[in-house]
Amino acid sequence: MIRHLFTLIWNRKRSNFLLMSEILLSFFVLFAVSVLLVSNYYNYRQPLGFQYENVWELDVNPGQDTTDHKEMLRLLVQRLQSTPGVVAVTNTSTNTPFSFSNMDTNQYTYKGKAGPQTERYDTDDETAKVLGLNVVAGRWFDRRDAAATRPPIVVNQKFAEKLLGQEAPVGKVLVSNDGKREWQIIGVVDTYRSGSDFASNDPAVFDRRALQDTAFKMSNNEVPVLLVRVQPGSGAVLEQRLVKEIKDITKGWVAKVNTLTENRHDKLKVVLTPMIALGIIALFLIINVALGLFGVLWYNISQRKAEIGLRRAMGATGAGIGKQFLGEMLVITTLGVLGGMLLAAQFPLLGVFGIEPPIYVLSILLAALLIYILTAVCAFQPSRIAAGIQPAVSLREE
Amino acid sequence: MEPTLTKSPLLTGAPAAILLKNTPMIKLLDIEKVYHTDTIETVALNRVNLTINKGEFVSVMGPSGCGKSTLLSLMGLLDEPTGGTIEIDGRAVTSYSDKELARVRNHKIGFIFQSFHLINDLSVLDNVELPLLYRAGMSGKERRQRAQAALEKVGLIARTKHFPSQLSGGQRQRVAIARALAGAPEIILADEPTGNLDSVMGDEIMDLLLGLNRQEGTTIVMVTHDENMAHKTERLIRFFDGSQVS
Ligand SMILES: Nc1ncnc2c1ncn2[C@@H]1O[C@H](COP(=O)(O)OP(=O)(O)O)[C@@H](O)[C@H]1O
Ligand SMILES: [Mg+2]
Repeated sequence: MIRHLFTLIWNRKRSNFLLMSEILLSFFVLFAVSVLLVSNYYNYRQPLGFQYENVWELDVNPGQDTTDHKEMLRLLVQRLQSTPGVVAVTNTSTNTPFSFSNMDTNQYTYKGKAGPQTERYDTDDETAKVLGLNVVAGRWFDRRDAAATRPPIVVNQKFAEKLLGQEAPVGKVLVSNDGKREWQIIGVVDTYRSGSDFASNDPAVFDRRALQDTAFKMSNNEVPVLLVRVQPGSGAVLEQRLVKEIKDITKGWVAKVNTLTENRHDKLKVVLTPMIALGIIALFLIINVALGLFGVLWYNISQRKAEIGLRRAMGATGAGIGKQFLGEMLVITTLGVLGGMLLAAQFPLLGVFGIEPPIYVLSILLAALLIYILTAVCAFQPSRIAAGIQPAVSLREE
Repeated sequence: MEPTLTKSPLLTGAPAAILLKNTPMIKLLDIEKVYHTDTIETVALNRVNLTINKGEFVSVMGPSGCGKSTLLSLMGLLDEPTGGTIEIDGRAVTSYSDKELARVRNHKIGFIFQSFHLINDLSVLDNVELPLLYRAGMSGKERRQRAQAALEKVGLIARTKHFPSQLSGGQRQRVAIARALAGAPEIILADEPTGNLDSVMGDEIMDLLLGLNRQEGTTIVMVTHDENMAHKTERLIRFFDGSQVS
């Protein structure tokens, strides 16, 4: 019977080719959807590399104040640090976790090799404590670094892997691509996915800009951002107190307080919106494909009523007819999926889009599974109809 | 252990051909077939009682719409009567399951249709193999051999790789006959087998059927509009308006 199916499909290659192309096309739609789903799910399951709970972001606005912002900020951080309920305070660049700002660069080189596109963060000695960063080699910044000959940096593992490969990162000296600046790696953190829960694990470099250092020049144009780790359970009372402290010390600076938990939610909404939109488009495409398949199968069966009647007369059971139609569909689907897989496998082989091969492989398998479910669902009803066709009726001569 | 009896003890040793002629192959008892459509009820067969004996060649005649095709699809177990009983080879089949009916059709009955009903996307050989495909446990090799033997009988062994569209009407009907023969059925039901053919081709087909009946003892029921052909058969049954009239 299998041989018979192949003969039948081969002899009908012209009309089956159309069906196969449709399946191949649907495979690609589903493959794209799968890559999206799998890579996002994969990222989602990765550790963020920091703890956002009980961390507040204070966006400070000095307004028209013309005094030295840096000195004022140093006093402010000192005062906040000694406020009951506050665990640690850090002054950072505006690209805080879940923020909408970026500072990416490709300035780093090592022994003439250009580094990857990297997100750069300004931090200080307290940042690791505030964000609960995971230092896996070397150390985080501290007071000793004020006397360093080369500016110290901390990098994440992804950065080290991309620029240094297998070499141990700590102690390595990096040079800017214009050759004018140098940095020395003093520590490594595992990951830092600050963009969102769905951000991929991209290279990151942390610079030290400590307010107590005289070498650190801060222009009055910079927007001061503080991250404050508070004791668990702190709420509105502490928030009002912090805002008041800021106003008192600085004589008029205002501060907006958001928890990182809130920022995470805001970012999630923005990140999820295009994903949902894409998902809906994909869903429509799939429904379209399903209706197409359904229509083709339906048409197929109405065209083959006489054949069905004849097969029944020759000794096929109703169930056998249904199985034959499902079997034909299974063979055609498999041919389409094999073709699709062959093409889809080129992506990981060529290494395009910078997505990890395991994600591609998983996506290909997921797409294949989905296409089988889709065709099974689409073929089920037409096959049942085929199985139920009355042989006497379908054989009637006009 | 007692040997199982596959034949009636009466038959053993007796001249089979003579006894066969008096044994019923198809028996219709009080058969009634009513078609229900949205608005009308058509009585296609009205209390038909008819016995076809083993080895008989019976032709059925009657005006269009009198129920001849209906009669044949009931005999061929392609449809169920609305009343009455059908016996094939001494067994009442009216209560058979779909699977059992399919088995009887496959083993006992061969069909020939006015419009041949060949599958255009299958070669001549694949078409003839079709009934054997539904026979459990038959090897591909045996199917091939049987199909080739059947094509040999109808004189089309040179055309096995052709497709139906490459054959003439008479050749197509011979393929259909080979297909009916391949399964070595005891009954052949032919619904106007020469209706779409000119008289020369029609005579060829008729000769094939007559030979089959005489040499293999196949029971044949044939619907025809051709008096000449009908008179070549042993018995002629006339239908009018759902009832047998002679
Ligand atoms: N499936 C059906 N549904 C409704 N009426 C039918 C059906 N099949 C046959 N008939 C009716 O039953 C009658 C007998 O039909 P049929 O057996 O095909 O006649 P014949 O073969 O003698 O020309 C006709 O009136 C026909 O219209
Ligand atoms: Mg008819």
